[in-house]
Amino acid sequence: MSTDPSRIRNFSIIAHIDHGKSTLADRILDVTGVITDREKQEQLLDRMDIERERGITVKAQSVRLPFRASDGQVYQLNLIDTPGHVDFTYEVSRSLAACEGALLVVDATQGVEAQTLANVYLALENDLEIIPVFNKIDLPSADVERVRREVEEVVGLDCNEELPCSGKTGMGVREVLEAVVRRIPPPKGDREAPLRALLFDSWYDPYRGAVCQVRIVDGRLSKGDRIKLMATGGEYEVTDLHVYSPFQTSIDVLEAGEVGCFSASIKSIHDTKVGDTVTLAKNPATEPLAGFKEVKPMVFCGVFPTESEDYPALRDALEKLRLNDAALVFEPETSDALGFGFRCGFLGLLHMEIIQERLEREHDLSLVTTAPTVVYHVYDKTGEMSLVENPSRLPDAGAIDRIEEPYYSVSIHVPSEYVGAVIALCQERRGEQKTIQYASQNRVIVVYEMPLAEVLFDFFDHLKSATKGYASMDYELAGYRPNPLVRLDLLVNGERVDALSAIVHREKAYHIGRALTQKLKEIVPQQQYEVAIQAAIGSKIIARETVRALRKDVTAKCYGGDISRKRKLLEKQKAGKKRMKAVGKVEIPQEAFHAILKVET
Amino acid sequence: MRRGTSVYVHFPFCARRCPYCDFATIARSPQEVPGSAYADAVLRELEGRHTELEGRHLASIFFGGGTPTLWDAEALGRVLAAIRAAFPTAEDELEITVECNPSSLDRAKARALADAGVNRLSIGVQSLSDERLRFLGRLHDARGAIRAIEAAREHVERVSVDFIFGLPGQDRAALLAELDALRPFSLEHLSLYALTIEEGTPFHELRKKGRLPVATDDEYATLFLAAEEALGALGYEHYEVSNYARPGRESRHNAHYWRGHAYLGLGAAAVGCLDEGVGRARRRKNVIEPDAYLRDPLAPPAESERLDAEDLLREALMLGLRTSRGVDLADVRERTGLDLLEARRAPIARRMELGDLVVEDGHLRVPRSRWLSLDAIVVDLF
Repeated sequence: MSTDPSRIRNFSIIAHIDHGKSTLADRILDVTGVITDREKQEQLLDRMDIERERGITVKAQSVRLPFRASDGQVYQLNLIDTPGHVDFTYEVSRSLAACEGALLVVDATQGVEAQTLANVYLALENDLEIIPVFNKIDLPSADVERVRREVEEVVGLDCNEELPCSGKTGMGVREVLEAVVRRIPPPKGDREAPLRALLFDSWYDPYRGAVCQVRIVDGRLSKGDRIKLMATGGEYEVTDLHVYSPFQTSIDVLEAGEVGCFSASIKSIHDTKVGDTVTLAKNPATEPLAGFKEVKPMVFCGVFPTESEDYPALRDALEKLRLNDAALVFEPETSDALGFGFRCGFLGLLHMEIIQERLEREHDLSLVTTAPTVVYHVYDKTGEMSLVENPSRLPDAGAIDRIEEPYYSVSIHVPSEYVGAVIALCQERRGEQKTIQYASQNRVIVVYEMPLAEVLFDFFDHLKSATKGYASMDYELAGYRPNPLVRLDLLVNGERVDALSAIVHREKAYHIGRALTQKLKEIVPQQQYEVAIQAAIGSKIIARETVRALRKDVTAKCYGGDISRKRKLLEKQKAGKKRMKAVGKVEIPQEAFHAILKVET
Repeated sequence: MRRGTSVYVHFPFCARRCPYCDFATIARSPQEVPGSAYADAVLRELEGRHTELEGRHLASIFFGGGTPTLWDAEALGRVLAAIRAAFPTAEDELEITVECNPSSLDRAKARALADAGVNRLSIGVQSLSDERLRFLGRLHDARGAIRAIEAAREHVERVSVDFIFGLPGQDRAALLAELDALRPFSLEHLSLYALTIEEGTPFHELRKKGRLPVATDDEYATLFLAAEEALGALGYEHYEVSNYARPGRESRHNAHYWRGHAYLGLGAAAVGCLDEGVGRARRRKNVIEPDAYLRDPLAPPAESERLDAEDLLREALMLGLRTSRGVDLADVRERTGLDLLEARRAPIARRMELGDLVVEDGHLRVPRSRWLSLDAIVVDLF
C-alpha cells in the first residue's frame, strides 16, 4: 500500500545540544499517537544509553509517523534524526539530504548557537525548507521576541509564522506538525525511473548484518530485489524491508519519496558507506546521487590496556565497536612505555571520548590513552610524503624536508564584548584571522584558520572560560600547511617515554617543554624512587624537574582491631592506582599522558 | 588438628582519653569503673560463644584497652581463668599479656597480675620526656614511667614498652636519648610507633587547623632508621615494622595476628576473626558502647564481615610483609587455598627485580631496607 508523494513529508530537526530536540521528538510521537503510555520512554529515539546520559544524539532512529492534519488527510511524516555534533557534519549533511525540510528548534531562553547555524547552512545547501520553532516557552526566562529577532538577523530566516512550543508540556506541538504539512514541500522523484536511494545511515545487526537506512529518490525498492551500491560496487539481495513507526514494521516495497530500512546479508557496515547510492543490479541508474564522500579520521590516539593481559579483550571490544562505527579505525601499536595497544583514529574529539567511554563502560576495560594528535604530512628530502599520526614516530629532523599540519576553519559565535578575548586566544593558538562579522548588534562571528593540533589542546575549554560560556564554535577542515614543527620528547629517569612525545611548533617548544615538565611534576606521585622528568628536542635537554622520593610510606601499626580498616585503605589506594602504568620503575598516572593538553601554550 | 586461636579481651575504660587515641575507650574515674560487672559480662559472652571454640586450642591471651590496669586483678584473673578453662592449650608456656598504663601500674598491681597468671606486661610509656608526655596528654611523667617499668620488672619477667616517635621537637638525638634511658632495664621487647593522626581525634582537629607541628615524612624516615640502628646495636631485632625484640622474645600474640591466624575478641568493641574452613573467615566487632555490652554481652555484633580467599590473601600480605620473616607461603596456601606466588606472579616478579621482595625458606618477605616503602609494595600485590 503506497502513499501518494503529495502526502509524504520528510523532515529533520536541527537544534543545538540541550535545546530540546529529543524532548520535542518525543512529544511529536505523542501527538501522532503512535506510542501508548506504557511504551513511553524518555528520549525514545536514542538507541544507546551513552547518548541518553550525555544528552547528545550521536546516531538515532528515523521514524515514520501517520498524522491526520486539519485538512482531514492522513500524512506520512518521516522524522529523520540527525547526529548532534560537529564531528559528524558529513553524516548530518547526508541525513539532511534525505529531507525536504527541517525544523530549526531554538531554545527561547538562549538563542542561536554556532553549531545550529552550521547545520542551518547545511540544510540551506540541501535546499531545505526551514521552519523556525521556539522551544521551552514554558520557562519564565523565555524571550521569544529577542530570539525571533536573532533568527531573522543572524540566520536570515523569515519568522512571519511564529511557532512557539514546549517539548516539555506539549504546548504548540500540533501546530508545528501542521506547519510541517503546510510548508514543507512533498518529495519529488520519479517512481518509474531506475532506483536511486540515498544511504544515509547504517548499523550492524548480529542477525541481519548491516542494516541500511535509505531515502528513495527515484524508483522503488522491493523485498527480493538484487541491489548494487554504486560507490563500493557491492551487490546484494534485499532480504528484509522495514520502517520504524516507532516500532519496527515489515513492509514489501519502498517508493520514491519514502524513507525506510533494508537488510541484504551485508556482512560489514564498512561496505555500506553513508552517502552511497543504492540502485538495482539489473536496471541500474546511470548517475549516482551527488554528495558522496569518504569519511577520514582526523584525530588519533593510542589506546592501551592498563593490564597487558587485557590486550585481546581490547581488540575484541574495538572490533565490536567497529561493527557499528564506520568512522572508527584502529591498528596495533607497540609502545616501549605502554606495551601493546592500538592506534585509533576518530572523526574528532567527541567521537574519541565516546569510544573511550564505551570501551571502559560497556566492555569493562581499564585503559590508558595517550593525548590525541592530528595526522601530519611529513615530506622527506626526496619529496616523498608519509602520514604520521603518532608523534613518537616522527623521523629525526635531519631526514625531514618539511612537515605539514591540518588546519581548521573555526567559526566562533560570541557576544561582542568577548571578541577581544576570542581574538587573543586564537592568536595564541597560531590562528590566522579570516573574518570578523557582526551577525547582529551584539553578536559576532569570528572566523579563524588555525592548526587542528591547537584546537585539540583544550581549545574549547579555554574558549568557554574566556567568554564565560557564551561562545559556540563550529569547524571544518581547511587544508594542510607547512610549519616549523619539532618533536618534543619527555624522558623519565633518562628514558624517553614514547607515549609522552608531542609534535609542537618550534617557537613554542621551549615554553611547552618547561610547562610540561612542571605539570608532570604535579601529576606524577611521589614514589619509592626519585623521578627525574626532562623535556628534550633531539638530544638537547630543554627542561628538567624532579619528583622527590617518598621516604616514608608505611602504616605505623597494625593489630587485630584495625586490620579490616587498614586493608580497605590499601584496597582504595590500589583502586586509585588502577589507571597507573608502570614505566620502568616509575608509575605514571593516566593523567600524565594528557598533560600536554593542559599546559598553557 | 586443632586450630591455634588467640583471645583478645578489650577493657574499654580509661581514666582519661589521650588526644591522639582512636581506640574504643570511655573515660571513667577509677572508682566508677565497673570492674566486677564487666568481668561477669565477659564471662557470659565467653560462655554464650563456646561453640565457636570447638576444635580450637588456645594460643595466647591479650588484655588490651582502654586501660586494663584499671581493672582489679581479681576480676581480670577470673576472666583469665575462664578463658584457660574454655579450651585446651598446646603451648608449654602460654603468653598472657596485659597492656598497662604507667599511672595505674605499681608494685602491688604488678604482683597481683602476676599472681593471677599474667606473664607479660606491655607498658604504654610513649616517651621519657616530660614535655612530650604533656604534649601527648598522658597522666604520667618520665619518673612515673620509670617507676612503672621498675615495678613491672620486679614481678614479671617479660616486659615490653610502647614508644611513640615523630613528636614535635623530637629530633634524632632526642629520640636516641630517650631510648638510651631504657637501657638499664634490659627490656626484652619494645614497640616503637610513628605518631599517626587518626580521624576523629583532637589531634586530627588540631592538624586540620594547622596547629599540630608533626614530623615530616623525611623526619619520620630519619628517626625510623636511627632507632633501628641504635636498637640493633643493643641487641634488639627489628622483627616487625614497629616492633623490636631480643631473639626469641617476640610477642607471640601479635605474631599470631601478623600470620593472619584466628583470634577471638571478647568485651565491648572487641574485634575477633575466626576461620570458617579453607578460604573463608568471619570478622566481627562486638557492640561498642560499654553500657550496652554490660546489659547484653551477647548482643548482635556492631560489625560483621565475611572474608573470602582473596581478602585473606590480601590480609596475609598486608600483615606478613610487615615482619622480617615475611609471609609463610605454605601456611597461606593451607588457609586460603591460593598459591600466593602464582596468584601474584607478575607484580612479585617485578618487585623482586627491584629488590623489594625476596623469596626464601618458603617465605615471601620485604627486606628491612625497603620497609619505609612497604605500603607501596603491598598495594602493588593487592
